[in-house]
Amino acid sequence: MLTSLDPRIARLGLPDSQPTIEPKEALDQFETFEVFHQKKDGTAYAYVGPVHAPSADVAFLFAKEQYSRRFPCTGMWVTPTRAISLTRYVGDTESVYDTLTESLPTHAGAAPDESMQQAEAYARGEEDYAIFHLKKRGKAHVHVGMVRAASPAEALLQAKAAFGEQRPVVNVWVVRWADVLTSDEEDRDIWSTTPEKKYRDAIAYKVQDRIDRFKQEQAASPAN
Amino acid sequence: MYGSASTHDIPANASTGLENEDPQLLAAFEARIARGEKIEPDDYMPALYRKQLIRMIEQHAHSEIIGSLPEGTWITRAPGFRRKMAQMAKVQDEVGHAQLLYSAAETLGKTREDMITDLINGKSKYSNVFNYPTPTWADSNVISWLIDAGAIVNQMANAKGSYGPYCRALERICAEESFHLKYGHDAVVHMATGTPTQRRMMQEALNRWWPPIMTFFGPADKASQHTEILMRWKVKMASNDDCRQQFLDMYVPKILEIGLTIPDPNLRKNEETGRWEYTEPDWEELKRVINGDGPCNKERLAVRRAAEDNGAWVRRALKAKQQAPKYVRPLA
Ligand SMILES: [Fe+2]
Ligand SMILES: [Fe+2]
Ligand SMILES: [Fe+2]
Repeated sequence: MLTSLDPRIARLGLPDSQPTIEPKEALDQFETFEVFHQKKDGTAYAYVGPVHAPSADVAFLFAKEQYSRRFPCTGMWVTPTRAISLTRYVGDTESVYDTLTESLPTHAGAAPDESMQQAEAYARGEEDYAIFHLKKRGKAHVHVGMVRAASPAEALLQAKAAFGEQRPVVNVWVVRWADVLTSDEEDRDIWSTTPEKKYRDAIAYKVQDRIDRFKQEQAASPAN
Repeated sequence: MYGSASTHDIPANASTGLENEDPQLLAAFEARIARGEKIEPDDYMPALYRKQLIRMIEQHAHSEIIGSLPEGTWITRAPGFRRKMAQMAKVQDEVGHAQLLYSAAETLGKTREDMITDLINGKSKYSNVFNYPTPTWADSNVISWLIDAGAIVNQMANAKGSYGPYCRALERICAEESFHLKYGHDAVVHMATGTPTQRRMMQEALNRWWPPIMTFFGPADKASQHTEILMRWKVKMASNDDCRQQFLDMYVPKILEIGLTIPDPNLRKNEETGRWEYTEPDWEELKRVINGDGPCNKERLAVRRAAEDNGAWVRRALKAKQQAPKYVRPLA
């Protein structure tokens, strides 16, 4: 049996040695999800990192635990990694939209008003897509807005029309909005943390007074 | 927390494999790094870059998870409720760091489960200092303060590295480390300026931990083609020795000002060279312990394995909900 200085581990009665474990099957693993968070009300959602989970709702739970435990957060979106279409990455001073060769078919005649457009779009089988831009390599993708399209490829062209003047755009992610699990406005109290957690902030530790006092005492009794 | 990007375990004459890379792609890759742009997962990258980063980020992740064990064991015995809560928050942070780092390593193509399997089977390493025990609360405090301080020196350097996902992870990690450092310092100061028994406990813990601390950054880098390339690619951001010097510069005065002594009669700053001189750490011991023969190696892996075994039914139950295998590497 494994011996340990630590009574809590000694109690576990772990075996002293064991055969190596078998590697898991390549795909015998949880699905991958990407997570976006909103740092405070009114700001754009931004990419914060992945989680692995067996379903979107469990992914949301993991994401909340992983990414909102320590940082202010007022909302979270979770989407399967497979649901994201992305462009290639260009340099920090370029726009990836410039490298798109196709462009949208132009509509003849005067543009119908917004609600008409929307009704027609849905009737044509179009859906909402969320668009995310990466402005600088090493930073996070940020949500810039929504477009309506019939496919991710078309959504990208719509995004170019709507947001193509922004610069730089190193990389674009396109996600069908129906594939995004979002936190509910009504549940916003899940984001408030209790104010009694000061002990986990650097600012709660003020040790200089104690050091100064100690030094004074030492100086007063040099024999010590 | 973490140890150094251990280039020293690559044989000096090992091939860099660069002759197999497309010269044009390689030149564009190097130019991007030279311009200060980050590399993202979908970019071309040389095999050596990928391999070294996987090893480095994976070791960093393992260090976070194994490093949480010697401190975690003190949660229930920390003196007072507030310290229990703070110790628990710190340990939770460290485990969270491992999650972020595993994700960053996954973007390079190694799955999380493979990394954990390699850890448990002893195939991939973690920071060697965690193969030493924390027999008292004071030992746990030394880790919280000085091992984290060493880790921060490393992490701040690595945060300026060239790989985007690693930088993103480190940005969040460094923000939390500032709490660890203050918390650890507070705990050590409390003991060192307390009763004679507390002072003695703290001094003894420091005496035990000083030799491992001095090996934390690894032996001085040998001049090798690998080291030179990895520095040019901003994988390795500072030499092991420079990290150690920076650590000594920042923390020796803070240790001495609270009346503790450092158990190395040769430790002094050479005012002419501006470098610290010290008794050469026992690199043979480091090698021996890294390779399994340390006081806690077995225990650390056994505990990690017990967690894996005990959690297997939960993973099985959750996975039963999943229709088809859907694991893919994370995007960023
Ligand atoms: Fe950490
Ligand atoms: Fe740490
Ligand atoms: Fe830490």
